[in-house]
Amino acid sequence: MFSKILIANRGEVAVRVIRACKEMGIRTVAVFSDIDENSLHVKLADEAVCIGKAPASESYLHVPSIISAAEITDVEAVHPGYGFLAEDAHFAEICESCQIKFIGPTPENMRLMGDKMAAKQIARKAGIPIVPGSSNIVNTKEEALKVAKKIKYPVIIKAAHGGGGKGMRVCHNDVRLVSAFFTAQREAEAAFGNPSVYIEKYIENPRHIEFQLLGDAHGHIIHLGERDCTVQRRHQKLIEESPSTVLDNKLRKRMGELAVRCAKSIGYVNAGTIEFLLDKNNNFYFMEMNTRVQVEHPVTEMITGIDIIKEQIRISSGEKLKRKQDSITFKGSSIECRIYAEDPEYDFRPCPGKIVSLNLPGGFGVRVDTHIYAGYEISPYYDSMIAKLITYADTRKTAISIMGRALEEFIIDPIKTTVPFHRKVLANPSFRKGRYSTSFAERMLEKDK
Amino acid sequence: MNIKKLEEVIRLMEKHSLTEISIEEEGVKIHLRKGSLGHIERSVEMMAPHVLAPAGEALSPKKEERNTVEIKAPMVGTFYRSPSPDAKPFADVGSKIAVGDVLCIIEAMKLMNEIKAEVKGKIVDVLVENGDPIEFGQVMFVVEPS
Repeated sequence: MFSKILIANRGEVAVRVIRACKEMGIRTVAVFSDIDENSLHVKLADEAVCIGKAPASESYLHVPSIISAAEITDVEAVHPGYGFLAEDAHFAEICESCQIKFIGPTPENMRLMGDKMAAKQIARKAGIPIVPGSSNIVNTKEEALKVAKKIKYPVIIKAAHGGGGKGMRVCHNDVRLVSAFFTAQREAEAAFGNPSVYIEKYIENPRHIEFQLLGDAHGHIIHLGERDCTVQRRHQKLIEESPSTVLDNKLRKRMGELAVRCAKSIGYVNAGTIEFLLDKNNNFYFMEMNTRVQVEHPVTEMITGIDIIKEQIRISSGEKLKRKQDSITFKGSSIECRIYAEDPEYDFRPCPGKIVSLNLPGGFGVRVDTHIYAGYEISPYYDSMIAKLITYADTRKTAISIMGRALEEFIIDPIKTTVPFHRKVLANPSFRKGRYSTSFAERMLEKDK
Repeated sequence: MNIKKLEEVIRLMEKHSLTEISIEEEGVKIHLRKGSLGHIERSVEMMAPHVLAPAGEALSPKKEERNTVEIKAPMVGTFYRSPSPDAKPFADVGSKIAVGDVLCIIEAMKLMNEIKAEVKGKIVDVLVENGDPIEFGQVMFVVEPS
């Protein structure tokens, strides 16, 4: 087992990893940019190294600074968290060459699944249905029109090396397709450094179902069930839950087995997630694989009782996965609300600032994963997610009622947050019935205007 | 004591981050105290970790009459005072430096980076020892500019 780990991240995930390390008796090193000097992860770690100025490119994304920090503190491993360098194969390789263990999948795993088009082919070979679309990058508008004619509208243009909703355009006709094709390419270039786009059939009002995977270095891979992440706004997840209300045991077993088979086919190691789209007839299609631990991992932890971060650390230190698939059980229901420092009344614009009054919710069935504290200054340089509020109960109905109550207790003054938005969703009849699609959140917001 | 004066006092408090102020004037006494979470802030402070450099706090109380400039590390790595283990240090207390002079080396990822002076002057203090780990922004030299 490692004796010292450096956490190459910040905010709540850095706190999360530090907590797991402390419980395992592993010493921790935090890295921070100059404005994160008073951040909670810095206070909790055993050692801390300032690695650069506020902009991520000069600090949390600056590989030489992070590797340097790892060398001078003599760590054995680096946990990348999510975002930043978590899916950077080059960074993982540099860690390897410096004899520092990267806690996550192999660089090869990341490269294979990072190419969204290649990933689809891997999934198809593993027997997972894929969304009909262009089998290659679409280079010209003529090709785009040809593909659209073949698969029929509506179609969606996507960045081949992207994610997070950038470089995505839904089109219902030829005219729209041509203009969207060029803008999507430009957006992809700006966001990912690569303008390559491909086209797929657009599944209307799907549900977004993802499966959590864990694989050890000895080829043993299991899944930990699904998460339903359908409540989204502009392709950003806002609420996640497990189990999904639309999966029965049979469908869960089928999708889980295929997800494991797909991960096995590329020798996947450590934590990962395979995302599916489910249409209104419960047909599922492979969307993409995320080669990292995800923001919403807590809901899986609550219903399986498994600490995913600790499993990641164990797997990286060479331990075999002890659990077999048939020993994984799912108990109860869990929901997570991602709390952002954004104003839902003003198009979710980010609202950084100093937290003067803070009251964290508590009680039976409540978990809060956060890095904020009273007096903390939320900076404008980084992601505006400030907390994850997770509830857990034996039934979905109770988990919802606990979440509603907990949201009422959550005071973060004077910061404008998405708490009021979450309260509206939790009170919404469609959400409560479990009948919603990816257009739900935006439609609810439209109605309120 | 009128509202305008009270507002002025409150503004003064904000400006200088005061939590409490007492003023007596013309027989009128006022006492303002911020309903702060001062004690909570302090308890979070108590969790400060072992940071590599005992940061700004330890260094700023040096209230010199002389005008000095701090030279801070522009990167993370290992600090070396000379070009090689047996050689003389690039710069010592008392050394006169010009813009562009190499002051030290910071080793990062097996690369030796020469750190050059951006001011002209005289070194009055060296705060890091040869072979010490160094973080971004850590003060290495204190220089009296000329």
